[in-house]
Amino acid sequence: MFKKLLVANRGEIALRIIRACQELSVKTVAVYSEPDRESLHVRFADEAVCIGPASPSESYLDVARIIAAAEITGAEAIHPGYGFLAENAEFSEICRRSDIVFIGPSADQIEAMGDKATARETMQRIGVPTVPGSEGLVADLESATGIACDIGFPVMLKASAGGGGKGLRIVENEGELSRLFHTTKAEAKATFGISDVYIEKYVSEIRHVEIQIFGDSHGKVVHLGERDCSTQRRHQKLIEESPAPGMTAKMRGDMGEAAVAAGKGIDYVGAGTVEFLLDEESNFYFIEMNTRIQVEHPVTEVVTGLDLVKEQVRVASGEKLSFPSGEPSLQGHAIEFRINAEDPARNFMPSPGRIKTFQPPGGPGIRLDTHLYAGYEVPPYYDSLLAKLIVSGTNREEAIMRGRHALDSFIIEGVQTSIPFLSQITRDPEFIAGGVSTGFVDEFMKRWVRE
Amino acid sequence: MMDLDFLRSLIDIVKDSGLDTVELEHDGTRIKLVKASSVEPRWAVDSSGLPSDTNPPLSREDPVDQMVPSKLEVETQQDSSLVEIKSPMVGTLYSSPSPDTESYVQVGSRVNQGDILCILEAMKLMNELESEASGTIEEICVQNGEPVQYGQVLFLIRPS
Repeated sequence: MFKKLLVANRGEIALRIIRACQELSVKTVAVYSEPDRESLHVRFADEAVCIGPASPSESYLDVARIIAAAEITGAEAIHPGYGFLAENAEFSEICRRSDIVFIGPSADQIEAMGDKATARETMQRIGVPTVPGSEGLVADLESATGIACDIGFPVMLKASAGGGGKGLRIVENEGELSRLFHTTKAEAKATFGISDVYIEKYVSEIRHVEIQIFGDSHGKVVHLGERDCSTQRRHQKLIEESPAPGMTAKMRGDMGEAAVAAGKGIDYVGAGTVEFLLDEESNFYFIEMNTRIQVEHPVTEVVTGLDLVKEQVRVASGEKLSFPSGEPSLQGHAIEFRINAEDPARNFMPSPGRIKTFQPPGGPGIRLDTHLYAGYEVPPYYDSLLAKLIVSGTNREEAIMRGRHALDSFIIEGVQTSIPFLSQITRDPEFIAGGVSTGFVDEFMKRWVRE
Repeated sequence: MMDLDFLRSLIDIVKDSGLDTVELEHDGTRIKLVKASSVEPRWAVDSSGLPSDTNPPLSREDPVDQMVPSKLEVETQQDSSLVEIKSPMVGTLYSSPSPDTESYVQVGSRVNQGDILCILEAMKLMNELESEASGTIEEICVQNGEPVQYGQVLFLIRPS
């Protein structure tokens, strides 16, 4: 087991990692940018190193500064959290070359899954079902048109270097395709540095259901069940839950098997998530694989009783996976609400500022992952996630009820938050019925704004 | 610089008064005195050993006329005419070009803008730190071989 680990992240996930390390008796090093000086992760860590100014490119995204911080503190491992450098193949490689253990997969694995078109091809080879579309990249408009007409419009043009809901464009017909093909490629080049695109059939009434997998360096790969993340706004998840409403044991078994095959097929080590979309007939198709711990990991932790972050550190230090193989045992129902510093009434405009009042909910089935405290200054430079509220109960009804009460009693003053918005969703008949598609939030907003 | 007697009188005045905080500026030096009882901890120090950099509140049972702060926070600011040379990176500071040569600068050394003050090393790469100011080295704040963070004050230069 490591003696010292550096947390290359900030906010709630940095706290999460520090807590896991405390339980494993691993000393922690926090890195922080100047505006994050008073952040909780800096307070909780055993040591802290200021690595730069506010700008992420000169702090949390700056590989040299982070490695230097590991050097001067003698950290043996680095946990990248999610976002920032978590899926940066170069960072993984530089850690390896600097004799620092990167808590995550190798550069090759990150690249294999980071390039979405390659990931698709790899999955097709392994035999995991993928959305009908191109085999790998689409070279030119002619082949794009051929493929699109084959699978049928509407189609989705996707940037290969994109992912996480970015770099997508819906194309309704041939005319639009000839117009948008080159534009989309140019945008991809500008945003991600690479213009490569691939095509998938656009399925509109879909649900986003992902499977959590875990692998160790001894060849074992298991799956820990699913999370339904269909409640999204502009492809950014707002609410996630497990089990997925309507999921049967057979489906879970099939999807789990596909996900484990994906992991085994690339000798995956560590925590990973295989994302699928479910169509109206409950057919599932691979979309992408994330080679990191995800924001919504607590949902799985609550229904399985397992600690995913601790296991990441254990597995990275060479230990055998302690999770059981075979079908996972899921107890009860868990729902996570992502609370952001945004004003839903003003088109979710970001709302940084000083937290005046912070009064969190409590009681049975309430878990709160947050870095907030009264007096904390929410900076404008980073993402707007304030807290993750994870509620659970013996069934979905109880979980939703607990979620409603918890959100209603959660007081945050000083910044605008999405708490009222989320609270309204818990009262929505469609949401309560369960199994909403990715179009739900947009449709809900039309009704919500009118009230 | 404030002298000790002046400071002692100031402390007595604050102690006996109903004031919580006194800030005063004199001859380029600023002093701030804060009574420990008025410093609210941001969160309770519990047995998990969470580090707290605020003083624990005084017991409220202390009679007012015997209120002696357990620890006064005295912040003094450096002479504001000095230029602070801050580290632009994270790494290890070396005072000389190599272990067996003389250090680049010492207290009292005259430097010009662009002169090398020290080496900052990270990932086996040596970076020479150039002075932003011309003047005399007033203070060397970091020892040879010590780790430095971004923004850490390394040298104080009296500009001229």
